[in-house]
Amino acid sequence: MTKKETPSLPLIHPPLVGFAAVLLIGTVATDFIYSETLLFQWNNFSIWLLTAGLILAAIAGLALLLDIVRRRLPVIARGRFIGFTAAALLSLLNAFVHSRDGYTAVVPDGFALSAAAAVILIFLGQRGWSLRAVPSSGPTRTMEFHSRSPEIQS
Amino acid sequence: MNANLLSAGCAVAALILLSGCDEKKAADPSTQYGTDPVLPAPEQYILPPMRIALAKGWGTEQTPTVTGGLAIKAFATGFMHPRQVYALPNGDVLVVETNGPKAPIYRPKDFIEGKVKGLSGSAAPAGNRIILLRDSTGSGVADQRSIFIDHLNSPFGVALVGNDLYVAATDALLKFPYVPGQTHIDAPGEKVTDLPAGQINHHWTKSLVASPDGTKLYVGVGSNSNITENGMAAEEGRAAIWEIDRATGLKRIYASGLRNAAGLAFEPTTGKLWAVVNERDEIGPDLVPDYLTSVREGAFYGWPYSYFGQHIDIRVEPRRPDLVAKAIMPDYALSSHVAPLGMVFTQSSTLPLKYRSGVFISEHGSWDRSPLNGYKVVYVPFEDGLPSGPPQDVVTDFLTSDGKAKGRPVGVTLDHTGAMLIADDVGNKVWRVSAAKHTSDVAAAVLSNR
Repeated sequence: MTKKETPSLPLIHPPLVGFAAVLLIGTVATDFIYSETLLFQWNNFSIWLLTAGLILAAIAGLALLLDIVRRRLPVIARGRFIGFTAAALLSLLNAFVHSRDGYTAVVPDGFALSAAAAVILIFLGQRGWSLRAVPSSGPTRTMEFHSRSPEIQS
Repeated sequence: MNANLLSAGCAVAALILLSGCDEKKAADPSTQYGTDPVLPAPEQYILPPMRIALAKGWGTEQTPTVTGGLAIKAFATGFMHPRQVYALPNGDVLVVETNGPKAPIYRPKDFIEGKVKGLSGSAAPAGNRIILLRDSTGSGVADQRSIFIDHLNSPFGVALVGNDLYVAATDALLKFPYVPGQTHIDAPGEKVTDLPAGQINHHWTKSLVASPDGTKLYVGVGSNSNITENGMAAEEGRAAIWEIDRATGLKRIYASGLRNAAGLAFEPTTGKLWAVVNERDEIGPDLVPDYLTSVREGAFYGWPYSYFGQHIDIRVEPRRPDLVAKAIMPDYALSSHVAPLGMVFTQSSTLPLKYRSGVFISEHGSWDRSPLNGYKVVYVPFEDGLPSGPPQDVVTDFLTSDGKAKGRPVGVTLDHTGAMLIADDVGNKVWRVSAAKHTSDVAAAVLSNR
């Protein structure tokens, strides 16, 4: 009855989450350079990084869904899911802020949002870009999608 | 976090609905007329409020509405984005069919804005040429039509001095030889001087007027951005009115800090230069009022650092307190986002007397304010060479009741009979506004002229 997850089938979402995260984290650097140089091209870099990062984040979200539907990911780490989602929403908000004209596209709101998203992503990224629940010393909060599927130890 | 989620969700929803999240209501435009407009605190948006008047066009028998004592009729129709009208002394009328060069996409916003503006008819293909119209029977409708000058680079302003016809293309001021009665000019334009264009060319229109004595030409050169987002280097020579010496072609900046002086005209009783100026966007539905002002030689009017005197725009860094201190107040606010693109003083008009000592201003209207403002032609009365009362609606109903644009007024002028001509770049028509027949005003005018 219990359908075992095959470890040989890799998850497709983690690299996409990683690509998106790298672009979104990069926004902090271009924002910082803008705030120092006031050369508007650096804000243009930021908004393109945000745009590309958000497109990849959307694709990563679809990939995650696909991983769940294809039963490769019976449970996901709820905290990490909330963290990545928050970073994506902050970045979406940030894309609108970065679309303002002039200095206030970046300073202070845009820069603050870039930094907040980056802090979340760097923190989560220390354990890689997978949303697979991993065992820890304490009880891990998970979200189950397929009842009775045993959790795979990675 | 909840607040952020909410904002983000709202931003997405707003983008789809093309309506702002901000619930704050726009003020009554009448609080922003005249010398002392009410200026609210600037806002910084997640998504600036916008409302697009979708381009619809006119029904067969439809016309704009005119106030009492006036009559309106289509002088000519079937244009490709007509934006200027200019009356030649012999009665012929020039219509400039024009639109801006393709705007580069530097940010995702440029792409989205381009699409949005396209909905409002701003991106319609243009002839980039000048059409000559002739009303040979005096019926108030043009019956002859020819291509007067073809293959121009986004032309806008036109001015005739003697037999020299000047055309302000977006990148150069050109001079053509003109013979009265001519219906076509084959001679190539001679370049008088280059004008700021370049790859960005954000405000591309170059308004043009000749001084009353014909020795100088004045060109309105708009800024290269909303508020310096393309960098200060792109603003070299822009947001200014240039003075060009006709004899030598030498030029200098006559006045600066005028974001986009899209209409220029000389006030006939004082001989002073006046301009209508389009102010900055995206800091609120009631900021910054567009204005009508006399143009003082050497004066600085604030853009980009400040507006209406010393109101600082926090979007511009580094700041320039030295320039802000110098910035002068424009003479007369027209209220926000009306987009005045044309003006003509009315002393030589044959419209009712109440319209003969002021200025007609065409308000093209814009999409970055809700509710919409402008989309009409107004009259500002003058006394002793200065505005003397609030703007009065003269030609209205360019919008449908559900907020679509039947037309949008751009250039205005008076023809040789003293009637008003209006270029309509969404309706693709030229309207002629004349005195309604048999009004007491007309009778009075006839008597007074005897």
